[in-house]
Amino acid sequence: MIFLTVGTQFPFDRFIRAVDNIFDQGLIDEEIFAQIGETSYKPRNFESVASLEKKVFDECFKKASSVMSHAGVGTITVALKNHKPLLVMPRMKRYKEHVNDHQVATAKKFEELGHVLAAYDVDELPEKIKQLSTFTPRKRVSQVQLVAGRIAEFLNGVSIS
Amino acid sequence: MVLSKNIKMKICLAASAGGHLTELLKLADSWQQYEVFYVSTADMVAKKLQQYGPTHVVGECNRKHLLRVILVLVRCIRIILHERPNVIISTGAAVGCIMCFLGKLLGAKVVWIDSIANVERISLSGRMVRHIADLFLVQWPELVEQYSDVEYVGAVI
Repeated sequence: MIFLTVGTQFPFDRFIRAVDNIFDQGLIDEEIFAQIGETSYKPRNFESVASLEKKVFDECFKKASSVMSHAGVGTITVALKNHKPLLVMPRMKRYKEHVNDHQVATAKKFEELGHVLAAYDVDELPEKIKQLSTFTPRKRVSQVQLVAGRIAEFLNGVSIS
Repeated sequence: MVLSKNIKMKICLAASAGGHLTELLKLADSWQQYEVFYVSTADMVAKKLQQYGPTHVVGECNRKHLLRVILVLVRCIRIILHERPNVIISTGAAVGCIMCFLGKLLGAKVVWIDSIANVERISLSGRMVRHIADLFLVQWPELVEQYSDVEYVGAVI
């Protein structure tokens, strides 16, 4: 199963519709389950829901052979943690998919580091979807303890009056 | 009077549902000895957060919907007056920004961790909070060269 997820803050129909069309062309031979947010678009080729509780979301992720999503950090994080091949497509401000274009930079950075595949437009999707089935994401070494340590040090120095 | 640092400190942990919250929760080790409460934006994360501490859900808001911002702001004001935290820790976005400014007004310390999603420049919320933050962390070393008073120690993901 391929898990398709786009978060919930804004619709991302451009992406969902493109995947639906690619499915029509017979370029995807796996079942897809999609979380597509509050939108009027109804995919023809796969089951979809508006939103998922975190627990169910995590389960979908574990079951999936690969994942396609917007270039949101939440999804990228879960993909890296579960070592799932992930293809991201950034949301764009000009299509009213987000308040700015920061997802483009996020996608580029994580792509550059070998952690994800990225498609920057619907035209690039078919080729990237093909690559997804054989893509092995590079593991990321977490520095979270360094950051947590810095915050703990700061909190330790706070005096309450 | 300044009390010993062992005195119970209350921390507000504020983050929008999604990536912001994922990043914030990764840092849970830093505040485990303190009393905390959460402020987030969506019901679907409330159940999970309640396992960690008292949780307030204020709804989504962003700069495109001013009325929503006002509604969320009113909810945040009620929360901050009721909870009176000593420190605000946030990874963004708009709701985190609101809680940081409200907290600062009431004398709280502000810790901001700008999301790893911001690669080329700091988020809009972050650029505002930077002026009042007591600790401002970014997650890409390149960003330290662009802004004063920001620190890089690593990325949480």
